[in-house]
Amino acid sequence: MSDNNKVKIDKSNSWEEGRTKNITFVVTEDCQLECKYCYLVGKNKSGKMEFDVARKAIDYLLSEKEFITESSVVLDFIGGEPLIEIDLIDKICDYFKLKAYEENHPWFNSYRFSFSTNGLMYSDKRVQDFISKNKSHVSIQITIDGTKIKHNLQRVYPNGKGSYDNVVKNIPLWQKQFPETSTKVTISSDDIPYIKDSVLHIWGLGIKEVNINVVFENAWKPGDDELFEEQLVSLADEIIKKKLYENYSCSFFNKTIGYPYNQNMNWCGAGKMLAVDFTGNFYPCIRFVNFSLQNREGLLLGNYLDGIDQNKLRPFLTLDMISQSESECIDCEVATGCAWCQGANYDFADTETIFQRATYICNMHKARVRANNYFWNKLGRKLNKDMRNE
Amino acid sequence: MLKYLMIILGESSVPFCYYENKTGVKKTGELISYENLKKAVVFALKNNLKVNFLYPDIKLEKKYDKLIDEVEHIKIIPLKLHKTYKDSILVIESDELSSDSNLKNLKDENIILRLRYKQLHKLHSYLNKLIPKCRRINLVLLDIERYGEKDFEEYKHQLEKTSKKIFKLTEKKNLPEMNFLTDRLTLEQMNNCDAGLTHLTVAPNGKLYLCPAFYYNNENDTLGEISNNINIKNKQLLELKYSPICRICDAYQCKRCVFLNKKITSELNTPSSQQCKLSHIEREVSRLFIQKLKEKGLSIAGFKNIPEIDYNDPYENAKKNKFTISEFKNL
Repeated sequence: MSDNNKVKIDKSNSWEEGRTKNITFVVTEDCQLECKYCYLVGKNKSGKMEFDVARKAIDYLLSEKEFITESSVVLDFIGGEPLIEIDLIDKICDYFKLKAYEENHPWFNSYRFSFSTNGLMYSDKRVQDFISKNKSHVSIQITIDGTKIKHNLQRVYPNGKGSYDNVVKNIPLWQKQFPETSTKVTISSDDIPYIKDSVLHIWGLGIKEVNINVVFENAWKPGDDELFEEQLVSLADEIIKKKLYENYSCSFFNKTIGYPYNQNMNWCGAGKMLAVDFTGNFYPCIRFVNFSLQNREGLLLGNYLDGIDQNKLRPFLTLDMISQSESECIDCEVATGCAWCQGANYDFADTETIFQRATYICNMHKARVRANNYFWNKLGRKLNKDMRNE
Repeated sequence: MLKYLMIILGESSVPFCYYENKTGVKKTGELISYENLKKAVVFALKNNLKVNFLYPDIKLEKKYDKLIDEVEHIKIIPLKLHKTYKDSILVIESDELSSDSNLKNLKDENIILRLRYKQLHKLHSYLNKLIPKCRRINLVLLDIERYGEKDFEEYKHQLEKTSKKIFKLTEKKNLPEMNFLTDRLTLEQMNNCDAGLTHLTVAPNGKLYLCPAFYYNNENDTLGEISNNINIKNKQLLELKYSPICRICDAYQCKRCVFLNKKITSELNTPSSQQCKLSHIEREVSRLFIQKLKEKGLSIAGFKNIPEIDYNDPYENAKKNKFTISEFKNL
């Protein structure tokens, strides 16, 4: 194997990419934590899905063969914290399997149950029983946000106490059961000084894939981009020095970012995926559900009784980069890899539209591009290969 | 660039497009105030704008008439005022066509026909009555969100019947303009409504709106007071190039109503499936009409061929084939 083939830093695993319908069940709007950066601004204790709602939603989704044509499905359970409702989820999953079998639906042979969890209940017997029962069809992502300091800076209980210790104790069991684990890290302004140590810490816990992103909100202060760049450069040096690129991945470093656009593609999959809230209403993704939005009402696509209003999907499925971007973004010389979230765009736009791209992360993206260039150029010199222009 | 101003003279002004007015309000107190009308007229004069006045079905005071005459304008009036204001655009509700007596004094008119959903199957018979009396007919299909596949078939059927019928008029060179049949034959680019781009609306409250439909739908959806600094947020979304579906479309006669877009798809720049399918039926009937004219060796100055296409809604194409950045910049 050549040195270049050993570089795994920009690799990630995804299941049945491009052929899968992602359907998010918001089983509860409650969570044990009150993470400071959480986009779910309206979490509450009353929004809980009844089984009958989930059952009817599944009945509709399995019957809708004209517009839902993907051959595989991921039922994604999100909250709030989904594992609070593990009994309900177990019932929903059993019903899905039974119904898909009865209807000879292609999804019966190609489904996943996916979870994004804070990990606090991971070792709970009911959760473990669910995993045993559905093992080959389950993927679980526990969010561990980095070092104890970084994690506890954001991911706190209502009384302000950090949740790190209660999460990290469940990591070994999680890794044993799901060896190809990855975690998601979110960076806001206060987290910047801890980025390097946090990525290294997570890898040190045995989690080889770190998907990391900065928040899309207007939350950045002058100078944050410089500190951010310093952290990433320092992380890059460490990765290269210790050859960590051979075994670990971190989404901050990717060979494809930092170029002018040569394609006019949307970044976000909202509308291709679907979210079902606790009342049985359908949305383009969880970021369009009422409790995710700061400034607007939820953007509804329909419900299990009336189905999906195809007219409401038309903007999402025809949305492209140029129709929502200002010329500064279209002509940006380091545009690729600059992310956006359709739900955040909708929430922050001057008018009620998904066609106005929020650009609060502009300087952060540019800083990331500089650090990313630094990483690949330096690694290229080490491996004697021009990795920026492959 | 703004070219004209719509001024709604009263709450009960005739609805002339895809919206309903506040019916039954006929008190003079519900008219635009003289001061607001004056402001709007002066704004039009200062900005080289022509004005379309939307009339309620009452006779206005003389001072209003005098002020209206100060600016170059068109009157859009309900059928009832036909005798009062000559040379105006007449708005006819399809309900008014049940009695022929309503039409007896019409001659060489420019009309807008607002067709109710429930009367779709009578469209051909209505057009039969109107065509001999008109030089132009603008058809407005109401309640298009209710249209389904059977209704599309019915619409095509009605237009095809009308198309056959008017063939004889073509031979006599006596064909009126019809937005649903002849407009596409003369156009080489989109001829959309362009609310917010080429025209704005002044409502009876003196405030500006994208068009009358936005006012009647929600008075709070205003662009603000008449001023020299009108700020339309996300104005680019009104432009053709910012509509992924419309910018690849050649149903040039389509009005591309941004109000209906917003109402049905939640986005100003995204047309509904109904809007696209109805416009493509018109395009297809126009295509067959010009084809038949050619087969018969007939021609009409200004009419152009229309290419055959294999879709009835550009949505699928817009989903699959994204514009390139250079295509976008060259639009």
